[in-house]
Amino acid sequence: MEIFTNTNYDFLKWRFHAIAFSLVFILIGGAMYLKNGLNLGIDFAGGANVILKFKEAVPIDQLRSQIPGATIQQYGKPEERSVLIRLPKQKQEGDYAGQVVEKLNKAMNPASSSQLDLNFQGRAALAELLKSTDPDKKGSSTAAHQYYYDLAQNVIERRSELGIFTDMAQVTSAPGLSKEAAAVLPQNAFLGAFNILSQETVGPQVGRELQTKAFWAIILATLAMGLYIAIRFDLKFGVAAVLCLVHDVLIGLAFMGLINGEFEIITVAAFLMIIGYSINDTVVVYDRVRENVKKSRTRENFETLMNRTLNQTLSRTVLTGGCVVLILISLILFGGEVINQFAWLLLIGTLAGTYSTLFVVPAIVMVWNERIANRSGAKRAEVVRREAAPIETATPGRAKG
Amino acid sequence: MKKNLWWKIALILAVIVIFTIAVIPTKANPERIPLGLDLKGGTHLVMQVNTVDAIRAELDQAGERLKAQATAQTLPSPTVRRISDDSFAATPPAGVPTAQYEKIAEEWLSEYSVSRTGESLTFKLKGPVASELANQTVAQAIETIINRVDQLGVTEPIIARQGGVRGDRIVIQLPGVDDPVRVKEIIKTTAQLQFRLVEGSMGPDEAFVLNSVPAASRGEVDILSGDAQDAFGRVTGRQFYAVRKSVPVTGRDLKSARVEKGEMGQPTIGFSLTAEGGKKFGALTAANIGRPLAIVLDNKVQSAPTINDAIQDRGTISGSFSPQEANDLSLVLRSGSLPASLTTLEERTVGPSLGKDSIRESLTASLIGFALVIVSVILYYRGAGVNAIVALLLNLLILLGMMAYFRATLTVPGIAGIILTLGMAIDSNVLVFERIREERRAGKSVRAAIDSGFSLAFGTVIDTHLTTIIAALFLFQFGTGPVKGFAVTLLIGLAASVFTAFFVSRVIFELIYNRADRPATSISI
Repeated sequence: MEIFTNTNYDFLKWRFHAIAFSLVFILIGGAMYLKNGLNLGIDFAGGANVILKFKEAVPIDQLRSQIPGATIQQYGKPEERSVLIRLPKQKQEGDYAGQVVEKLNKAMNPASSSQLDLNFQGRAALAELLKSTDPDKKGSSTAAHQYYYDLAQNVIERRSELGIFTDMAQVTSAPGLSKEAAAVLPQNAFLGAFNILSQETVGPQVGRELQTKAFWAIILATLAMGLYIAIRFDLKFGVAAVLCLVHDVLIGLAFMGLINGEFEIITVAAFLMIIGYSINDTVVVYDRVRENVKKSRTRENFETLMNRTLNQTLSRTVLTGGCVVLILISLILFGGEVINQFAWLLLIGTLAGTYSTLFVVPAIVMVWNERIANRSGAKRAEVVRREAAPIETATPGRAKG
Repeated sequence: MKKNLWWKIALILAVIVIFTIAVIPTKANPERIPLGLDLKGGTHLVMQVNTVDAIRAELDQAGERLKAQATAQTLPSPTVRRISDDSFAATPPAGVPTAQYEKIAEEWLSEYSVSRTGESLTFKLKGPVASELANQTVAQAIETIINRVDQLGVTEPIIARQGGVRGDRIVIQLPGVDDPVRVKEIIKTTAQLQFRLVEGSMGPDEAFVLNSVPAASRGEVDILSGDAQDAFGRVTGRQFYAVRKSVPVTGRDLKSARVEKGEMGQPTIGFSLTAEGGKKFGALTAANIGRPLAIVLDNKVQSAPTINDAIQDRGTISGSFSPQEANDLSLVLRSGSLPASLTTLEERTVGPSLGKDSIRESLTASLIGFALVIVSVILYYRGAGVNAIVALLLNLLILLGMMAYFRATLTVPGIAGIILTLGMAIDSNVLVFERIREERRAGKSVRAAIDSGFSLAFGTVIDTHLTTIIAALFLFQFGTGPVKGFAVTLLIGLAASVFTAFFVSRVIFELIYNRADRPATSISI
């Protein structure tokens, strides 16, 4: 199958529309930030996140009254009965997520002072309980310890698969549990109101450090890539490449603004991937431009040359972009809650990266060229020939195709 | 077939074998690529060791040493008071010259610089001594935490100092932990056990307890609280005790501790002492028969039994413990006390069920995405598409194999790295194939088109890869945990992609289209 063979689309005709479109998108996204502010996740702002799964319907009101000042939102689908409790940034260091969990446990599981909570405790505590009640008459040998530990592990494994026990029958039917052991559990243990899916605390100190590090990682990586391109190609392309990255990052940021997305460490990874993908796309086109400039024997207009290059690489641009987009769409559809926002951001970034290569980069290079042409008062065509010369001297060893 | 094709094929087969061995799980090592805590569940903690605790304790002990030496030299005992986090002041009773105490300080407290202000002496812990003490405190805290985690039976824990050799932070990673609340409690409990004599009487009122102590010795006691219990060990309220400041026997003198059953069947903790600790304990109990001795854990009085007899080397701590608490307490007592308290700076815990969901979902999504890519590439490039997929699979194999060899952790950002890598690996093939198509359209023979397709695309691929590798190196250098994971997968994957797209794909093309006996006239691309 061949598509985009010998195409002759006039990409450069659309360059001003493209720039206008990008600007509008970025401005709308920026306006959303003015409205909503920057939604820093706990990684950067500090604070705490606790995700709980409940046995019965989520007791939203009780949660609100127990933890004043926290944001409480549904996590995943309603039938999953899970909530995300977010504690805002704290001034002092401390185990905030742990405190939330402890408080809720006291309030919602009053029985936990005398009985073991099968939805809260781990296998060690359960093994201890089984060992001390010894339903299967194993004594107190090391073998007995191992026996009860394995039983406890089966029960907890079951819970991990289910998410939470909603019925004692789910516990007592765990593999390997004898009738006697199954009888002991309901007497000494109960099913608590919730199970902890995850809990995170980031203190103010660590939050600040993560912010600084993420910032420098992105800035330095971008500059290094720009520098490489400036050396390998020429200054014009280096600057255009960095501007192109800035464009893609801004589009990504605007998207985050539109959905009021939360900035976390994983968001930084997403932006890094966007940058990596975009630079890859841009370099492919530049390489072809360089090759075409070298081969260009006729006095070809630079605009025509750019257009010709973009058309030559179009098939590849679309196919590669398409493959990445396919993977990302399946991540969005099947990848689950944890990765969802991340995958969306990657998708928008990949599309922006492809789009910027086709429309934005040429626009920047053209503007640059026109500037130089105006300043020197020469014809545009001559500029192209002058452009060609330094590239050839810069890379004398390269074979002509 | 050309001769030099043989060694190329041998090389490729060797690579396949080596990396397949690397990723196939074995019985001894079922998880070849370690999964990050975000994927498999577990607890990641960053704790700060409050080294100032240890320094304060040292200041208090130095004050006691000064008093003890003064008494030994028949001088009146000075009043000692901590005035900052690295100094204390000692004031002799009125009329006694300070010079005598300065002499004691010179001999017995050489790690302090002493200055005189009016009638009192200021003892300042010397800088290097203080920082060495802080350093040792962190090292000792790490050792204690390692002991405790070992007893928890966590597999492959990571406990490391953060921020260089002088850093005061500890990173603790415990994969697969299913009860983070308890584990955190066990790690954070300082477990400072003390045996201190009780003065005056005990009672539910703090002021009453202090007043029951003779006025002269009120400066020598601390008021501590504990649970008041009934005969069945049930908590009925609070109880205060006046305990002596001097601590003759501590948790350091313990040899072992284990859970036992008390008279009413309630859990208690039986302990035994080291030879030296036993001597001290024996002397203490023999001299104080009939008096109550408080067993203090982390500044809370657990119980204050009356000494009936001189006890040499073993004893019992009773208190209002649940079986689980008694078990955890004996664990922390066995593994030693922390020399300073810990502050949580960061915690990330992913429960086992969320981790399971994450793995299942990201695996499904990746497989579906990958299948879609395979279908579209084969549709688009037919025969050559199969070649590209072979190269892509090999790339994935090398990437995973390298991660297994280096024990590089796979995290969610790492998956992003893999996606980018696979995207770029496909891109290398696509670049080559597009060139071959162009050359074919320009009328070149199959062989010539393949040759120039590969050589024309090579420069481009080197440029794209180098650019990204430079960025990845920066990320590796400056990034934190998750960003580093992303960079690692990217670096390995990119290196592999040059190999697979240019070496492996080319060999496959040559095998099919470059046979000496039957030169190809058409190419499936």
